[in-house]
Amino acid sequence: MDPRLGRPLWTIVLPVIDCDIHPQIGDREELLAHVERGQRDWFRGQPYFGLPGYSWSHPCSWYRQDLAADGRPPGADVEAVQRELLDPSGTSAGVLNADDAVLVSLMPSPYRAAALARAHNDWIRERWLEHDARLRGAIVCPAQDPEEAAREIRRVGEDPRFVHVVLCGGSERPYGEPRYLPIFEAAADLGLPVAIHSGGEGMGIAAPPGGAGPVAFYIEWHTLGSACSTMAHLVSLLVHGTFERLPSLKVLLIEGGIAWLPGILWRLDTNWRALRSDTPWLDRKPSEVAREHVRFSTQPLEHTDGHDDLLWEMLEAAGAPDVLCFASDYPHWDFDDPAFMVKRLPDAWRERVLHENAAALYGERLGLVPA
Amino acid sequence: MSWHDVGSLADLERDGHVVARVEGREVGVVAVGGELRGVRNRCPHHGGPLCLGTVGHRVTGKPGGYDVTGTLVLRCPWHGWEFDPVTGACLDDPALRVAVYAAKVNGDRVLIDL
Repeated sequence: MDPRLGRPLWTIVLPVIDCDIHPQIGDREELLAHVERGQRDWFRGQPYFGLPGYSWSHPCSWYRQDLAADGRPPGADVEAVQRELLDPSGTSAGVLNADDAVLVSLMPSPYRAAALARAHNDWIRERWLEHDARLRGAIVCPAQDPEEAAREIRRVGEDPRFVHVVLCGGSERPYGEPRYLPIFEAAADLGLPVAIHSGGEGMGIAAPPGGAGPVAFYIEWHTLGSACSTMAHLVSLLVHGTFERLPSLKVLLIEGGIAWLPGILWRLDTNWRALRSDTPWLDRKPSEVAREHVRFSTQPLEHTDGHDDLLWEMLEAAGAPDVLCFASDYPHWDFDDPAFMVKRLPDAWRERVLHENAAALYGERLGLVPA
Repeated sequence: MSWHDVGSLADLERDGHVVARVEGREVGVVAVGGELRGVRNRCPHHGGPLCLGTVGHRVTGKPGGYDVTGTLVLRCPWHGWEFDPVTGACLDDPALRVAVYAAKVNGDRVLIDL
């Protein structure tokens, strides 16, 4: 069969920056080689490195089912990512956001978490970044130990190919809490945005997903868990004055949905007017701060049953298109195809969403000049 | 309408589908419960390669119960949207339909009627 068949009919002529690619671990020993010797056997003996497992599983597969696997997860080596994503899409830069390894922050032991984070960052550098100049790294760190997380950010952040810090949506407390400040300070010092990627809600030491106790189904978790944690972190960072403390800080919220964004910002602005004395350091509308400091990934862009015009109009009220950055989520099942996004986005939004906004967010570390 | 060769019977038996580009359209033939169904290889939801999806029984049920029906569906390999391989209808979105075609085997070749 022609190998091009069964693949997307790419028609993209714009440069694409993909903010969310998930490299899979095909060979456990390859990663374990980067774990300090004193801890290596412990990780070797654990199911999936001791990372907390999902209580809510996709009924069929976490992955796109059209991708070749050969007994390993899809996207488990550079060649697969090149063949399945980078080459056909014309992606000029793609950020490797780890996969389940981002859940180190939810491991009960901060020492195991720190060791695995260090190993994963070194594995990304050696196994991925050295082999394709289009790839960029995300720094994994143990958020349950913010001082240690900051040390890891400063260690890895010296390499300019790492373009953001990545935290998971699941957390013990929302990330505006002052305990997490060392993480954001380290990132801001190095000019690194902090990405918060949905996932892990209700797992390990994380708070339950959804805001009303543990949910029953994956559909419930995927609808609410990821969106609610993203909303919670957004509001928390804003009301704690994180961006007043760190005026250069940028945050990228990934895979939590965006159709809800205008509603939560309108609600927050309304409450700010009435309750401002509770957080008197906020001297302007939180939505204005969000527009300056927070970006959102497009994936998974909600299907609107024919109401895309309404979606674009609402998102404009929340700062779109300037606050949106394209993400594919390759190789996961809810992947957004860049070729499809080109057709779906309004004409005037395309270049900003697919390229310019991310280029501006990452700046010099991306090696691309903002258009 | 005319018959077009889209692949070998051996490939169909091994993979459950064959896919080819015919007159500018990417189409495929999928084995569905002993029948052959010709299907446009482009999901009307997001453009995924529908013929590379999985064929399985549609699950139904009342609240709290699960039942497997006799209805076989073609599930898109990307987002899992389900289609009736006979009519092309998306079973959960009446606005969406994929083009379907007759298909048959001639010797060791698989043919589709476009």
